[in-house]
Amino acid sequence: MAAKAEDASTAAAVGKAVMVVGIDDSEHSFYALQWTLLHFFSPAVRPSWPYKLVIVSAKPTPTSVISVASPGAADVLPFVESDLRKISSQVIEKAKDICAAHSVLDVEYEVVEGDARNVLCEAVDKHHAETLVVGSHGYGAIKRAVLGSVSDYCAHHAHCTVMIVKKPKPKH
Amino acid sequence: MEESKEPVATECREKMTVVVAVDESEGSLYALSWALDNLFPAAVGGAPNKPQPLGRLVLVHAQQPLQHLIMHPVGPAAYATSSVIDSVKKAQDQNSRDVVERAKGICRRRLVEAEAVIVIGDPKETICQAAEQMQTDLLVVGSRGLSKIRRAILGSVSDYCAHHANCPVLIVKPPKGGH
Repeated sequence: MAAKAEDASTAAAVGKAVMVVGIDDSEHSFYALQWTLLHFFSPAVRPSWPYKLVIVSAKPTPTSVISVASPGAADVLPFVESDLRKISSQVIEKAKDICAAHSVLDVEYEVVEGDARNVLCEAVDKHHAETLVVGSHGYGAIKRAVLGSVSDYCAHHAHCTVMIVKKPKPKH
Repeated sequence: MEESKEPVATECREKMTVVVAVDESEGSLYALSWALDNLFPAAVGGAPNKPQPLGRLVLVHAQQPLQHLIMHPVGPAAYATSSVIDSVKKAQDQNSRDVVERAKGICRRRLVEAEAVIVIGDPKETICQAAEQMQTDLLVVGSRGLSKIRRAILGSVSDYCAHHANCPVLIVKPPKGGH
């Protein structure tokens, strides 16, 4: 356990363990970020917390959003690209606002292009993170199988502890 | 936008209720150690008589119900006599107590107070139910690191909890041999 902490500290600048929070433009992921800040990072609640926060936003590649074979795809590509870039920067801005609202200032922000599943798992490896936090859409079993689930993939494949934060269900 | 901030603000409690699911496996005890090291760190190396606890730690152990065992025919006897049932139940209770004692010992070594709850039933469902009843802020489960196929066949408590628990779930993986 001590050796593992040593590894993380040589990689992280301040000698703190790293917590990676994956976000996208969904309400669920912002809820997850707020929940994490509230319970783990807010200075009012935790005066000196041994974690460094890294917020990672996965930007989907334009080719994954539109099918390349469709007519006129080449024309649409630059618009889709700039649209996606705008969405990512909005996501990061919102994340910055949320962190500021919780008075958490020592945060690293990253936007990485690619599929969210791989981006988050790679970010964990890159930062030698101790924990990965993801939101969850709360899809049922069938939707998960068809649409795929980032939180599912990360729970199975990330090389660290995974925390899945859900919005509480309204009933029961 | 506003309504998503509202429920979070009202939940701001100083003390977090953390429920850790424990059983005999090394994975769950590792999960407990991880949770203690990372979620209740000030207890380590700090003054043991610190007045304010960081949160409420509850250990939950799910004990398999007896019906589960009686269904399986044991040797020539077609049904179990009451004495067999009693001794099996006693052995199970003792087993549960050992698991809980070991878990409590781990907590005590790190100077963290823990409550323990033993629930009887299918581990997946009862752990999620218990977590809901206790208004858990975070449910911590270990993971055996099974492959996809084995998960589907053997069933996975961590998978079930991740999908069905009403609260945030923390899945602790066993440490990898070579990072």
